[in-house]
Amino acid sequence: MPAVMAGPRTALAVRGLSKTYAGHLALDSLFLQIRTGEIHALLGGNGSGKSTTIKILAGVVPADPGGEIVLGGEDPVGVHDWTPAKAHAAGLRFVHQQPAVFPELSIAENLALGAEFPRGAGGRVDWRALNARTAELLERYEIHASPKTPLAALRAADRCRVAIVRALQDRDDADSGVLVLDEPTAALPAAEVEHLLDALRGYAEAGQTILYVSHRLDEVLSVADRVTVLRDGRKVDTVEADGLREADLIEMIVGRPLDRVFPAPPVETTEDAAMTIRGLRGGPLHGIDLTLRKGEVLGIAGLLGSGRSELLRMLFGAYAVDGGSVTLDGEDYEPTSPQAAMKAGVAYVPEDRQADALLCGESVRHNLTAGQEASYFRKFLYRHRLERSDAHRSIGDFLIRVVSDTQPVETLSGGNQQKVVMARWLRRRPKVLLLDEPTQGVDVGARAEIYQLIRRATEQGTSVILVVSEPEELAHASDRVAVLRGGRITTVVERPIDAHKLTELMNAAPPNVGEASP
Amino acid sequence: MTTRSRPRPETAVDDMPAQRAGDPAVVATDVPVVVQTEEPPARSAASTVGAFGGRVLRQYSLVFLLVASFVLYSTWGKTSSVFLTGDSLRVMVAGQAVIGVLTLGILVTMVAGNFDLSVGNIAGLSQIMTATLYAKHGWGLWPGIIAGIVIGGFVGGINGVLVTVLRVDPFIITLGTASAILGFIDWYTKDQSIVNGIPAGITNFGRDNFLGVPDIVWVLALVALVIYYLLEHTPYGRNLHAIGSNRAAARLLGIRVERSIAIAFVINGIFAGIAGVLMLARAGAGNPQIPPTLALTALAGAFLGAASFKVGRLNVPGTIVALLFLAVNITGLQYAGVANWINEMFTGLSLIFAIALAAVLSKERTVKKTRKTA
Repeated sequence: MPAVMAGPRTALAVRGLSKTYAGHLALDSLFLQIRTGEIHALLGGNGSGKSTTIKILAGVVPADPGGEIVLGGEDPVGVHDWTPAKAHAAGLRFVHQQPAVFPELSIAENLALGAEFPRGAGGRVDWRALNARTAELLERYEIHASPKTPLAALRAADRCRVAIVRALQDRDDADSGVLVLDEPTAALPAAEVEHLLDALRGYAEAGQTILYVSHRLDEVLSVADRVTVLRDGRKVDTVEADGLREADLIEMIVGRPLDRVFPAPPVETTEDAAMTIRGLRGGPLHGIDLTLRKGEVLGIAGLLGSGRSELLRMLFGAYAVDGGSVTLDGEDYEPTSPQAAMKAGVAYVPEDRQADALLCGESVRHNLTAGQEASYFRKFLYRHRLERSDAHRSIGDFLIRVVSDTQPVETLSGGNQQKVVMARWLRRRPKVLLLDEPTQGVDVGARAEIYQLIRRATEQGTSVILVVSEPEELAHASDRVAVLRGGRITTVVERPIDAHKLTELMNAAPPNVGEASP
Repeated sequence: MTTRSRPRPETAVDDMPAQRAGDPAVVATDVPVVVQTEEPPARSAASTVGAFGGRVLRQYSLVFLLVASFVLYSTWGKTSSVFLTGDSLRVMVAGQAVIGVLTLGILVTMVAGNFDLSVGNIAGLSQIMTATLYAKHGWGLWPGIIAGIVIGGFVGGINGVLVTVLRVDPFIITLGTASAILGFIDWYTKDQSIVNGIPAGITNFGRDNFLGVPDIVWVLALVALVIYYLLEHTPYGRNLHAIGSNRAAARLLGIRVERSIAIAFVINGIFAGIAGVLMLARAGAGNPQIPPTLALTALAGAFLGAASFKVGRLNVPGTIVALLFLAVNITGLQYAGVANWINEMFTGLSLIFAIALAAVLSKERTVKKTRKTA
């Protein structure tokens, strides 16, 4: 491989970066050159080495000796000398996947912790100056909140934006250095993603170099100048984004063509209703009418905050219902608790895997059988052996890659964690499966397997309500898509489903803005 | 070293570092390695052995320390003459019975992510109430014992209801009940010990041996078995683990979180009541002065126990080893001529050590977690 020249137009170059984790090569001699003022996307599945690369650049993970990092026209620095302080001094700014923001503190305090508190007389914190500066930043980034708002009061999307603002706050006039964004849009709704991407383009035009890591290929294609794809710790290629198609990227990432990623649509779905929802109200929902057919995947298209998550939670008895009726298999269904919903044969995979689904610290086995322990308890004995063989079967059935069923679940990759959560519910053969963002933080390969699992479940008679933010993915994975806007279902789109049309329908201004909800 | 055949098969290969993290399990279990569509990750034998060694070292470090301290006090000139005698060992282990029962009881609430700082005072209350029922109200042996246990469960129930209904930090609630109990005991007993009228049956039980082992140590062993069964071999125990791991997820799994926690406090209280009865049996008199460090010692034992066997997880065998470790060292140091203050000093330092260790272990876990996202 030819050595990368650090010319004047190179903002950042890495040469021969490797990382071994206990005998396993997570990153294999990576060469990367990022030009000044470009948005350079770094793509790859879980385990491809992109997060490792970023952690090495940030100085938080030591690379194997031998590699070099070159910033601007400066002298190369050996990776063994690289520290977070050096990375910061060199102008590298990071916003990580799970940004280290402090939910209990105000926005102003969060920003000040990224820079410093302005001081007044006697070294006291000058809150007025801090709040003024914060207000200015919030306005520039169009975050509608007061500087004193605690971060916890913001939705996840805005928290993420504050983290980005925090990283950028002291470099708004700098054209040196590199802004590194690790999955910044993972929790953002489509409208805000676009807003953020616009801002990033603006920065790039002003000379800011951006290294952009994302799972979302459409974003990458829309924002990046060049794309580097990693697979299994090695660089597949660096290519110009111009003229590149999503299918090309998927093929580079996964190493197989697109038509094998999303399974073919099912043969047919019956007209029989598995679940009928009439006038369901509560929270942001003002009267939902929806029929779920047996064996279908019914997608719900809606922006974050449209009430899509609340709808699923209501159907699972985990969110207060104000009115309306639901039937399940023709019988009245009024779940007042998750227990009742589960008993009726409804399953729910929540949006936030870490916060609401995984039992971290517990084994894969326990995570798989969680909630069903009572079925292994007979005659005052816990049937561990039966539980283990069931867990093994589930691990095989649901394509979960583990070393052992006793390993803690948090040691699995994101995709496999999600498959554990899916398996936990699918092994019960639910009548209705409610899925909220089942592929969040999951790479393309595992995503394909998750959709395979969903298809297999529908073939066995499960009906699925699916919430996914990405219109492209929703269009591919659903048999029909209901558009949720203004607390109501506005349209149901039948196959063939066009992703662009979905985006339009989701974002269109509500027709009856002034209408009072009944 | 990594010898991987190139090119890799055409599947998205999930994250190898994660598999590394679970590595020791490969050695430990005969469970088949489930890896689809790809060759198993290549590993050097040396690193596998190293990981295995590291795991054993960590899992059993407290056991090694226990054995080492035992050997030390058995051979050290200052202590060897008294330490390794039947009587000395019996006294040492019997001295751990009360605190042991408290510690095992507190595990039940701690597994579900709660604390109970009032266990020591609950035990004290049961002790003094049982003594009073015997001495002043002429209750029989068994009714008195049962009353002591029921009182413990009742106070535990109050804790549980306050924690789950008010949804206040159990730390604060139980600190409050602990103080209230002390006040009640002071008022009720007028700070008078109850020396006369304790049935011989109970005082003998506190002194007698069965098969060379003190009766109350048998009780401790029985309690350990019951708690072990409850926490690891019943759906209820597994639910408590789930609640402790992720309360929101537990709720969405249909686990009745509040009810389970309230019951955990009742169980905790019941075992504190049993500890109270054992206190009375050992002392032979009702004492209104409750040792202030009981709950802290129980916490130290539980945390220290989480550092062995199932590392990072509160567990019964680890707790037993931790209790023995504390007992051997405190007794040994006392025999060596160190004054009584060593008791509280050693317990306090062990608690800090255990918590620091837990912090380090959880940090290691986060490191593994971040590796996973590579």
